[in-house]
Amino acid sequence: MKKKTTNKSGQEEMIGFAVIVIIVAVLILIFIRFSMNSDGKEPVESYEVESFINSLLQYTSDCEDYFSRLSVQQLIIRCYNKDKCTDGKDACRVLEKNIQGIISESWKTGEGNLIKGYSLNITSDETEIFSLKKGNFTNNYKSSLQSLGRDGLKVIFTSYY
Amino acid sequence: MLQNAGYGKMKKAQLKIQQMAFMLIVVTLFFVLVMMFVLVVKFSGLKNTAMGLEEKNAMLLVSKIANSPEFSCGESFGRNKINCVDWDKLMVLKESIGKYEEFWGVSNIEIKKIYPTENSEIICDKYNYPECGITRIMPKDVQGFDVSNFVTLCRKTMSSDGFYDKCEVARIMASYGGEK
Repeated sequence: MKKKTTNKSGQEEMIGFAVIVIIVAVLILIFIRFSMNSDGKEPVESYEVESFINSLLQYTSDCEDYFSRLSVQQLIIRCYNKDKCTDGKDACRVLEKNIQGIISESWKTGEGNLIKGYSLNITSDETEIFSLKKGNFTNNYKSSLQSLGRDGLKVIFTSYY
Repeated sequence: MLQNAGYGKMKKAQLKIQQMAFMLIVVTLFFVLVMMFVLVVKFSGLKNTAMGLEEKNAMLLVSKIANSPEFSCGESFGRNKINCVDWDKLMVLKESIGKYEEFWGVSNIEIKKIYPTENSEIICDKYNYPECGITRIMPKDVQGFDVSNFVTLCRKTMSSDGFYDKCEVARIMASYGGEK
């Protein structure tokens, strides 16, 4: 009789322990969920990158086109079609020179700068037309994509900080 | 013997009560700790949201200024461009800024040419324009914080073939705060 009572008490304690373990597990799960939410990307911060791509595409390049000069956006299309400027310059070379100059002045990287690196990709569907990468690619980044609305041409710029 | 048995039972009961009290304290402490964790996480989320809103407001302000009729390119440089500032218009506005001093609710507005880099450190006036890079709309030094964004700075320029549109990359900065 005494043994039976001791057994019952032990069972009760085990059930109590199991309940506490379950409660702790649930609380840990809730905590993990909250933590995961607070680590999400901050899309608002990408406005600078969006504006940068806009400015880059609207920049007037050195590529002559009869009485005017082509914007970077028009130059990308010309480079994609493997055409030349009216003054004989290669459109892709002018594009490369202009993009490199603009990005290196706009996003200064390295020691003492907040920006650690950047990458720019110009693609048409799956084909890469132009690519530029510099610095370290960290886990913190702002990125933006601009579609040129022709031949699936896209400009993707990412800034790492 | 009976008295001893009663004493033993009482001691066992006291031990049980102590155990229960200890358990209650531990469980309460545990829940308090968990609550603290949850609150910290929740408040850090609120801080992030506040920072996000502040940044969004700043972006809206600089974009509003860049796209306002006094600054924007309109259709002078082809079809409507986003975040495009008409530099010629800006120089005229700079001359008559007295009428607009309180209009945008900021202490100063500055537009700095980023690329090309030639003359980018020279402050613009009607004598050196367009061979300059910094256009200060309100000619006063301010302290405080500023917000900035990329814009396209466009003007009409001349080549051997005639006039053409020249757009460059620049940064618009709006400053808040008192005068130095």
